[in-house]
Amino acid sequence: MGELAASSISGHVLVSLGLGSCIGLALLDRKLGVAGLAHVVLPQSQGHAPENPRKFADLAIPQLVTELETLGARKQRLEAVLVGGAAMFAVSSASLDVGQRNEAAVRALLKGLRIPVLATATGGNRGRTIRVDVSTTSVTVREAGGKDTELLAGTRALETA
Amino acid sequence: MSPPYTELQLDALRELANIGSGTASTALSSMLGRSVDISVPTARALPFADAVDAAGPAEEEITGIVLGIVGDMTGTVLLLIPPADADAMCRMLGVEPDDEYALSALGEIGNIVGTSYINALASMTGMDLEPTPPATATDMLGAIVETVLASHAIANDIALMLDSNLKVEGEDCSISFLLVPDKGGVELLLSRLGLG
Repeated sequence: MGELAASSISGHVLVSLGLGSCIGLALLDRKLGVAGLAHVVLPQSQGHAPENPRKFADLAIPQLVTELETLGARKQRLEAVLVGGAAMFAVSSASLDVGQRNEAAVRALLKGLRIPVLATATGGNRGRTIRVDVSTTSVTVREAGGKDTELLAGTRALETA
Repeated sequence: MSPPYTELQLDALRELANIGSGTASTALSSMLGRSVDISVPTARALPFADAVDAAGPAEEEITGIVLGIVGDMTGTVLLLIPPADADAMCRMLGVEPDDEYALSALGEIGNIVGTSYINALASMTGMDLEPTPPATATDMLGAIVETVLASHAIANDIALMLDSNLKVEGEDCSISFLLVPDKGGVELLLSRLGLG
């Protein structure tokens, strides 16, 4: 929770297990084969300097973009996939629609950065796991008791030895 | 960095959790007509990511029943029951697991057990505490725990988790409790226990 990672190393798989109301945001530079994943817990940091900035959408996303650029990704080529933002408990209460607020905040921030959203598996009331394969930049999602479903196909062939 | 809790404070919170779960086990016992044992509770103050990991394997399927706490202190009580154990408890109540009433039977177990836990906390600390109606979900453990923690994830990064275990005697069947107080709540509990 509130973590992010970026990688350009073939063979790496970035994973966020058990996303409930949190959003797993994958940012991909598919041409270069660089991918990042942020595990966003809350929409806004609301002005105070938090101990873990990476759990807030408004702070995590710019940081992830910076890390990807350090690995050679080009911001103009970045594309996004969103997973999560569910309402796990079907009770309406202010703190329990945080999933929807997270998704809205992430989408708004991406729009501001002109990063297109290619695919999503969000909302509802099921938990999900997101896996990003760095070599192929494919994204798969799994629900409780289910199997991996490809959300975004890889565009790069796996490197052969 | 917010101050970590001292061993003395964690001990006091553990004792609170102990009494809470003792009361809850009595309530569960009368509900199921079986003897219920409690384990020694653990009290952990962990950064959120570690707290989710500490609850167990993130993709493990589990039934979670959540109750809010309102009053002098706010927070959440989360009960976690492995699906097979949840089915066993339903049967003990005379309800088949795939029956349409199974979910509400579990909600009722959660309600009674969670409420007695909260009542015990209230009488131990002299605080006015009320439970809110329970909600149930069967899904990935990580998703359930992180959603509950996220609703408390405001200014600070540390989650306080008081974890107790209730075991139904003679059955391979247990309930885990997580008490997650809002930040001001822990300080309030501690001051009521004389350790603020």
